[in-house]
Amino acid sequence: MKVLLMGHPNVGKSVVFNRFTGVDVITSNYPGTTVEYSEGSMRAEGEEVTVIDVPGTFSLEPKDKAEEVAVEMLEKEKDAVVISVVDASKIERGLYLTLEIIERGYPVVLALNMWDMAKHKGLNIDVNRLSEILGIPVVPTTAVSGEGINKLASVLKSARPVEVETISGRAGGRA
Amino acid sequence: MRLGDVYFALLGAVTLACGFADLMVTLSGEYCSWWIVEVPGDMFRGGWGGLIVLFAGLFYLSGARNLSEIHQLSKVMMGSVLIWLIAGCDIFARITESIPGGDEGWFNSMEGFLGGCAPPYFPAMLLLPFSLVVIYYIHKVE
Amino acid sequence: MSLTVDERWDLIDRISRETVTVGEYKETLTDVIGEITIKPMTGIPVVIASLYLFWSIFGSFAGFFTDGFFVKFFDQYWLPWWQLHFPDTWEWLYYIVVGDPLADNCLEAFGMLTSGLFVAIGVVLPAIFIFYLMLTLLEDVGYLPRLAVLIDTILHKIGLHGYAIVPTILSLGCNVPGVAATRILETRKERFVMMTLLAIFVPCGAQLGIMQQVIPETMGLVLLYLVIGYFVTGFVLSRIIPGKSPEILMDVPPYQKPLLRNVALKIWMRMREFFTSAIPFVLLGVLMVNVLYLAGFIQWLSSTLSPLFVYWFGVPEATVGPLIAAFLRKDLAVAQLSVIEMTWYQMVTAVVLVSIYFPCLATFIMLLREGWTELLGSLAVLIVVVTVYGGFVHLVGILAGVA
Repeated sequence: MKVLLMGHPNVGKSVVFNRFTGVDVITSNYPGTTVEYSEGSMRAEGEEVTVIDVPGTFSLEPKDKAEEVAVEMLEKEKDAVVISVVDASKIERGLYLTLEIIERGYPVVLALNMWDMAKHKGLNIDVNRLSEILGIPVVPTTAVSGEGINKLASVLKSARPVEVETISGRAGGRA
Repeated sequence: MRLGDVYFALLGAVTLACGFADLMVTLSGEYCSWWIVEVPGDMFRGGWGGLIVLFAGLFYLSGARNLSEIHQLSKVMMGSVLIWLIAGCDIFARITESIPGGDEGWFNSMEGFLGGCAPPYFPAMLLLPFSLVVIYYIHKVE
Repeated sequence: MSLTVDERWDLIDRISRETVTVGEYKETLTDVIGEITIKPMTGIPVVIASLYLFWSIFGSFAGFFTDGFFVKFFDQYWLPWWQLHFPDTWEWLYYIVVGDPLADNCLEAFGMLTSGLFVAIGVVLPAIFIFYLMLTLLEDVGYLPRLAVLIDTILHKIGLHGYAIVPTILSLGCNVPGVAATRILETRKERFVMMTLLAIFVPCGAQLGIMQQVIPETMGLVLLYLVIGYFVTGFVLSRIIPGKSPEILMDVPPYQKPLLRNVALKIWMRMREFFTSAIPFVLLGVLMVNVLYLAGFIQWLSSTLSPLFVYWFGVPEATVGPLIAAFLRKDLAVAQLSVIEMTWYQMVTAVVLVSIYFPCLATFIMLLREGWTELLGSLAVLIVVVTVYGGFVHLVGILAGVA
């Protein structure tokens, strides 16, 4: 199985990657530290999983070279599971990219990273309801401290592609 | 919290004066030392450093009103951080300069080392202990 | 199926209305400090203070090791030992490995094992260690994006986004990661301008270290010339190169406590890089320069280029030698310059020339990876800049009556 870590710049993809694989890639507290992808492997539920740390991108319409690498990566790995890493305190923006990936037919797991920061900012996210609407596993994580990382690895297998119409149907409000 | 306001207003005034003294001495180019104080007169520590001490004084003065308010406290904290920074650099420089022995051998003698670290001190180093008071107020808020 | 942009945002809106509730947000001291360091009124003093911190610690730390111990060790023990014990059967070999038999310090000897090791280990190693440590802390705490926002207005004047400060600061450690970091810039134009400026005007940590050691008094002026050159060239390039420099929105991350493990890892990777590639390059540089001297090539080149150097740049023709070494390592070139006899202003000019002329080999390879057009473009700009700016520095010297 192959897993791609995708998300906006500076949401902590590389930190998740380090936690997963024990391979150390360099992380910093500014956007754009990872401009090329790095690959590592881990064992999840007794299976060998290849993890790829993809450079940060805001959407699937690339605007700079690092983003091009990200989109190419996604297009090359047709059967990969994507972990969409999202800054929980800016969840709306993260969901945009997540939906784009879902629409392309990839099985997606949503990692609500920087969960501690979001809570600190007074943000409350109903994780179960979110998972229900999207039809994908949703895991709150704080990668820096390692919180939620094991859970994230354990739900990888349950990720399935979903149709965006079904999501739209399940979401409330006007259709 | 009234006490804190007065304390930091005073400290701010003194800090501001120290910054001015640094700059004045640097501009005049004369050596200036009195009791345990030595005002640095080189472009780096006196000029650049003096400017930063001056900024620290301004931070204190603008923050020393209603300290329990977090925005005010943060300014006072920034003032202290600047003092720590300057004093820290000065102390680090003193220590690193006093350890090697120069022409005498690899390492300095104990007396030589202590002599290098003895007063007179730069104003920022003397302000250091007084600036630490801010830690108490930070704890109080958190 | 896929949605249009509006449909997608609409869906997100509906999802978040059902799942996200915003509670009360209590500001903490970290948040407020984050704000303070980003507003110009309060942020600029903090920038000035950070520069002071950087410079002071850099100077104290590097001075402690280099002046306190390494200079003594290399000049009093290491150099005499090699001068005495290295077999002088072949004069040329002695010249290459040990250098001048009469030299009394490691900068003048200029042999592979004497000057080469002294420059690499005695001077540059402590300098880049402390530099990388501070740079890493600055990166991991999250100060760089704030600096970028603060400096945005100034950099916009030269057609660059404030984010350009990040590659610039990274380049002060080493130009290679600096050039890599330009990939976050959106257009080809921005990337080209940025890479060219980095390669020409930003001195690396190794070069800063050696400058601090051999020309401490005039280093400020050298840096001032480089900063001015950076802005002027950026200003001109952004006007003559076609293309856009669009606005990018940048997130400012909250301040964070650096992870010890990550800091240690970064330092370790960078130091390993230094031992495996920088030290061999310094030694190779000494070897190459010595061989070229022995072959008479440098003497020939010096006299050929003499008019350009003496009349246009106003520096002795002997400075041609160090420029050859600068192909491999700029730190070595500066060390070599420091023992050439010249006036202090000539030294300033020569060091500025070494800095702006040709990027070192590692940076060159990095530029090549970005594409041939980029590389050739950068080189063209470089040749023009070196000629014009070198002459300008000389002119300023003449006008000020010091050259």
